[in-house]
Amino acid sequence: MSAEWIGKSPRRVGGFERVTGAQQFLADIRLDGTLSVRLVHVDCGHAKIIEVDTSEAAKVPGVHRVLTAADLPQPVPRFGPTFQDRPVIAVDEAKFFGEPVAAVAAETDDAAQEAAAQVRLRYEELRGVYTIDDALDSGAPLVQDPSLRPKDPLRNTNTLEELKFGWGDVEKAHADVVVEDTYTFPMVTHFAIEPYAFMAAPDGDGIRVWSPIQHPFILQRIIADVLELPLAKVRIFAPDPGGGFGGKGYPKFEPLLAFLALKTGRPVRLVLTLEESFQAGRRMANRVRVRSGFLRNGSIVFHDIMADCMIGAYVDIAARVVEKASYTACGPYRVPNARILSRALLSHTTPSTAFRGFGVPQMSWAVESQLDEAARKLGIDRVEIRLRNLPRKGEVFIPGDLPCDGNWDEALRKAAAAVDWGSPLARGRGRGIALGLKISATYAASYVVLRLHYDGSATLMTGTSDMGQGARTVFSQIVAHEMGIPLSQVAVVMGDTAVVPYDTSTSASRSTVIMGTAVFRACQELKAQIRRLAADTLSASENEVVVDRGVIHGPKGDLTFLAFLRDFLGSTRGELIAVGQEVKKKTWKHPLAGTTVFYELSCTAAEVEVDTGTGMILIHTFATVGDVGKALNPQHVEMQDGGAAVMGLGHTLMEHLILDASGRIRNLGALDYRIPTIKDLPLQMHSLAIENEDGPGPYGSKGTGEGGLLATSPAVGSAVQEATGVKIRDLPLTPERIWQGLQDHVRGR
Amino acid sequence: MPARTVSVTMTVNGRVRTLEVQPHHTLLQCLREQLELTGTKECCSMGECGACTVIVDGRSVNSCLMLAAEADGCTVTTIEGLAQDGRLNALQESFLEAGAVQCGFCIPGMVMAAQDLLNHNPHPTVEQIKEGLAGNLCRCGGYARIIEAVHAASRGKME
Amino acid sequence: METLQTSSLTRFIYARPGTLDEAFQLLEDHGPQACLLAGGTDLIVQLRARKLTPRIVIDLKKIDSLRRDITETQSLLRIGALTLLSNIIDDPRVNRHFPVLAQAAATVGSVQIRNRATLPGNICNASPAADTVPALLVHQAIVNLSSRTAERAVPLKDFFVGPGKTVRRAGEIVSSIDLPVPEERVAASFARLTRRRGVDLASINVCCLVSAAGLIRFAFGAVGPRPILVEDGSGRLADPAMDAREKERLLLGLLEQTSPISDVRAGKEYRSAMLLVLSLRVLQEALDILRAQRRE
Repeated sequence: MSAEWIGKSPRRVGGFERVTGAQQFLADIRLDGTLSVRLVHVDCGHAKIIEVDTSEAAKVPGVHRVLTAADLPQPVPRFGPTFQDRPVIAVDEAKFFGEPVAAVAAETDDAAQEAAAQVRLRYEELRGVYTIDDALDSGAPLVQDPSLRPKDPLRNTNTLEELKFGWGDVEKAHADVVVEDTYTFPMVTHFAIEPYAFMAAPDGDGIRVWSPIQHPFILQRIIADVLELPLAKVRIFAPDPGGGFGGKGYPKFEPLLAFLALKTGRPVRLVLTLEESFQAGRRMANRVRVRSGFLRNGSIVFHDIMADCMIGAYVDIAARVVEKASYTACGPYRVPNARILSRALLSHTTPSTAFRGFGVPQMSWAVESQLDEAARKLGIDRVEIRLRNLPRKGEVFIPGDLPCDGNWDEALRKAAAAVDWGSPLARGRGRGIALGLKISATYAASYVVLRLHYDGSATLMTGTSDMGQGARTVFSQIVAHEMGIPLSQVAVVMGDTAVVPYDTSTSASRSTVIMGTAVFRACQELKAQIRRLAADTLSASENEVVVDRGVIHGPKGDLTFLAFLRDFLGSTRGELIAVGQEVKKKTWKHPLAGTTVFYELSCTAAEVEVDTGTGMILIHTFATVGDVGKALNPQHVEMQDGGAAVMGLGHTLMEHLILDASGRIRNLGALDYRIPTIKDLPLQMHSLAIENEDGPGPYGSKGTGEGGLLATSPAVGSAVQEATGVKIRDLPLTPERIWQGLQDHVRGR
Repeated sequence: MPARTVSVTMTVNGRVRTLEVQPHHTLLQCLREQLELTGTKECCSMGECGACTVIVDGRSVNSCLMLAAEADGCTVTTIEGLAQDGRLNALQESFLEAGAVQCGFCIPGMVMAAQDLLNHNPHPTVEQIKEGLAGNLCRCGGYARIIEAVHAASRGKME
Repeated sequence: METLQTSSLTRFIYARPGTLDEAFQLLEDHGPQACLLAGGTDLIVQLRARKLTPRIVIDLKKIDSLRRDITETQSLLRIGALTLLSNIIDDPRVNRHFPVLAQAAATVGSVQIRNRATLPGNICNASPAADTVPALLVHQAIVNLSSRTAERAVPLKDFFVGPGKTVRRAGEIVSSIDLPVPEERVAASFARLTRRRGVDLASINVCCLVSAAGLIRFAFGAVGPRPILVEDGSGRLADPAMDAREKERLLLGLLEQTSPISDVRAGKEYRSAMLLVLSLRVLQEALDILRAQRRE
C-alpha cells in the first residue's frame, strides 16, 4: 500500500453512489409533508403587472398557498450577492421572460400545476430591452428603477457600470499595422443535466434551505438578510450539484421558497423543468470592438478594447464577471499600451451569472482573433506571433498584478505539436491555435476541520462543493498523503453549513489551491498536535520527536498513529481536531480587490475540415493544454479539461439562445438548444497538462477546470478561416453561418 | 375531471410490483415517486437527453416518454437493478475504473443505455458505442472516458 | 406561447382496448377528444407541450389484430401497425429491398426513441421533417387504414395534408404500411441537414431513387407543409454525359414545388441552397450504387 497519493488517480470518492443511482441529488431528497411549488410568469420579456388574480387557483383541491408580491413584507425584499436589486418575486413589473409573478404551493405536483394554470394574470406588454443596441438606446425604457442607485450618474441609463482599465498610451503609441474589428458572443445557457431544484422548511425559530448551490455560505448570508435572521439560524444543505458550471453559484428562487416555507409552515419543494432552468441563468453576452496595433515583427504595441456586455435584468454576479474579464482582456501577453472600456448593460433578459470561464471566453474570442488577423496581415505564423509576445515567468504583464507565473510557451508549443502545426495540410483543412488566460480568486476565506478518530481514520469537513470536479477525492488524497492514512479511511463531509466551516465559494478554479491549502495546513496542524502530545507521552522533548506519515519517530523507537491514539486517548476515547485555513483579505487598493492567487492559462489548438457545400465542420484533431502546476489527480484534471473543451465546442459550434421580438426565448429546452452529443466529438481529442510544480497550491498545484474553454472559439474560428478563407466574427459557427460566409466570400463581400 | 387510476403490474429489478397509477403520469414519475427509485433522473422530459433511460422488456427506452400505465406486464430494469448484493456489475466497475463519472447526473441513464448496448452487441466498435449512446447527453463532457469505459467492459466480457 | 413549466401532462382517461372493435367504439364515443397511442415518442411530447389535451388516450399496443412485425405478401413487404423503428432497421428484408428506409429510420432520434417509436406513428405524426417519409415516398408506400366499416388504401404521397395533418379520419386506424418490392433494379440514397452531427431533427431531408431504366424519384422533407415527391422519367438526370449546369437546371425545375421557410432551425436561403447541394449528392450516390450493383 503506497503512502504516496499525490499525482495518482484513485477512484472517485462518491463514484460508487453515482454508478448505482444511490447519490442523492436535490430532487431525490424527500421530506415528509412537503408541498410542491410551481411558478407562474408572464408570456413576454417585459410587462407591467396589472393584476394577479389567484382566487380560482386557490380553490384547486390540495392548494395551500398562492403567493404574490402582496403577501411578502413591504417593500418586497431584494437580494443579490453584490447589489440587492432582485426582488424575491416580481413587483409591479416582470423584467425577464421567466421571472415569477406568483408561486403556488400544493399537496401534489399535479395540484400545483393545475392551480398555476388557473392563476389569472393581467399584464401589459411593454417595450423591452433585448439587445445590446436596445440597451444603448437612450429612448429605451429603463430596466432598473433609478431609485436603486440614487447616487449613480448612470442611473437613468441601462448602463449599470462603465469599467476602465489600462496602462500606457494607446493614442500616442506607434504601430506599423493596425487591425480593427468587432466580434460578438451570444447568450448561451449552462444546461447542467440536473435542472435547478430547491427546498425550504421552517426549523424552529430559523429556517433550513436545500439547494445544489456551489456557494452555501453566500446563500446562507442572503437568506439571513432577506428573512432578517441570524446566520446561526439559517442552515443550508447543499447536496452535490448535478453539474454547476457557475450556474448554481448564486441564489435564484431560494428566498422565495424560504418565504413560502414560513408562510405555510411546511417544507416546500420546487423542481424546475429544463426550460425553466434555461430561463433562470445564462452567460454574459457581448459585442467587443478591438483596435490593435503591431510592429512589423509581430510585437503587440497596443490593444484598444471596447466591450458592451449584456448582463440581464438583475446584476447577480455579472458586474464582477465584466470586471474580471475586462481586466485580463489583453490575454497572456506583453502589451505595452492598453485601453479597456467595458459597459455592463442591463436588459430585460434572463440575469446572467457566473459561467465557467467568467467572461474570458467572450473576450478571448475577440482579442485572439485580432492576433490572427495581424499574423495574416504581417505574414507571420500564428504560433510565432504568440511566442513573440508571451511574457516569461516572473515578468509583469499587467501592471501592479501578479507576474506571469508559468512557462506559458510550453503550453503553446505542446498544443501546436498535438495538431502537428506546420506540417502540410490536406485540402479543405485548416488549423487554428489560441491562448486563454483567467484570473482565479483574488480574496478568500476558507476553513476546514480535520478530525482524527480513535481508530486512525479521519473526517474532513469542508465547505467546498463537489459538482463533478472531484473535490472530495482530491482533498481525501491530500489527507491520505499527509497523514499516511489509507484513502478508504478518509471521509469528507460537505454541504451543510451547520457542520462545515466557512468557505467563500467553489468557483474560479480555486478549490484545489485555496481549500487544498487549508486542508494541507490542517494536516500539518494535526501532526503538530501529535508531536506535542507524543512528546509528552514519550517523555521526550519535542525536538526529539518527528511526525511522519502515519508514524511517529521518537528517541526510543517508532509508534504508529494508531498506537499513539490508543495510548494517548486511552479508554476514555476521544479524537484529535485541527482547523486549517487560507485567508486572503480583500484589498481595496486593487481594482479586483486583490491580486490573483494564480493564473489559469490554457492553449487550444484545432485542425478542422469544412464541407464547403453545407458549411458543416468536422474537427479532426483537437487539443487543450493547461498549465496546471501539479495534477494532484491526473485523471480528474484530464476529465475536467476535456469536459471544458467539449463545452467550449458547444458554445463555438452550436449554442445560442434565440429571442423573439417580445423577449421570449424561442429555443427553450433540449430540442432546439443544442449541446454536443457523443457523436459530436472531434475525431481525436487530447487533454494535456504542463506540470512544472510552480503553483501556490499544495505540491505546486494551480487550479484548473475552466482553461479548456477559454480559447476554443478563436482556435476553431482561426482554423475555419485557414480552411475556407472566411473570417467569421459572430458565434456560433453554425454550418449555416459558415455557408453564408462562404457565399459572401465568393461574391467578394 | 377526476381520472380513474390504472392498475399496473410490472416486474421492476426482479420484483413484481402491483400499483395504481395516474393515467397521465409517466413511467419516470412512477419509478421516482411511487416506487421511490430515485436513481433514474429527470432532465429534459421530452426524450432528448437520455437521463431517464431504463430498460423495458430488454430494450433501452426514455422512461419520460412512456406512460406508467403502458408498463403493465413489462419487465423494467433501472440503475438500481444492476448491482447484485451491493456488488457492482462489470460495466459499473468499468465506469469507475475509466474515470467516466464526473457530476454523475447523466450516469444512471448513460449506464443503462450502455448496458442495453452490450446486452445486444457484446463487442461493439467505437462507432457503435457512439451510436448506442447518441441519445445520452453529458454536459460535463465526459464522453471520451465513457467510450473507454464501455469499450473496456466489452473487452472484459471476452472469457 | 406556453413555456414548459411542468414536466407533467394534463389529466386524461387511459384505455387499452384488446380488439379493433373496442378501439373503434372508443373513437366513436370520444371523437376529437381521443388520441391514439402507439410508441408515444411524439404523443407524450405533444401532451406535455399542451399541443394536445385529449380526454382519452387509447393505447393500441394490446390490440390483438395490430401486428408488430413485418410480413411478406406476394410482392410486397407489409409493415405492421406497431412495428418499431428498431425492427425496421434490423430487418433483413428491409435491408435487402429498401436499404434506404433502414438508413433513414436509423437517423430518427436515438436508440431509446427507436425502441418505442413505430413507423406508422412516425407517419401519422405528419411532421414535414419526418425522416422515414422521403424513403417511403420514393418506394411508393401505401398506407392501409381500417375503420369499423371499411378498409382503404391510400398512397403515401396522398396521405399528408399539412403539418400534423393527414387524410386519416377520426374513426380510422393505420393497420399497416405496404411497400411494393421494386420490379426492376433500383438504388436509393438519403441525406439530411442538421445543426450538429449528433442526434438532431432534420432542417431538410432528401431521398433519391434511381432505376436501371433511368427513372428518377426525389422526395423532400421540411421544405413545405408536406413532404414532396417528384419524378422525372426522362432519363436525363441519370445520363452521365449530362452537363453539370444542365443537371442543376433540371433539378431546380424539380425543386420548384418546394417552399422552404425560415424557422428556429435554419434560414430560408440556406435551406433552398442545401436542397440543391444535397439533391445533387444523393443523386450521385444513388447512381453510384446502381452502377456498383450492375458490376456484381
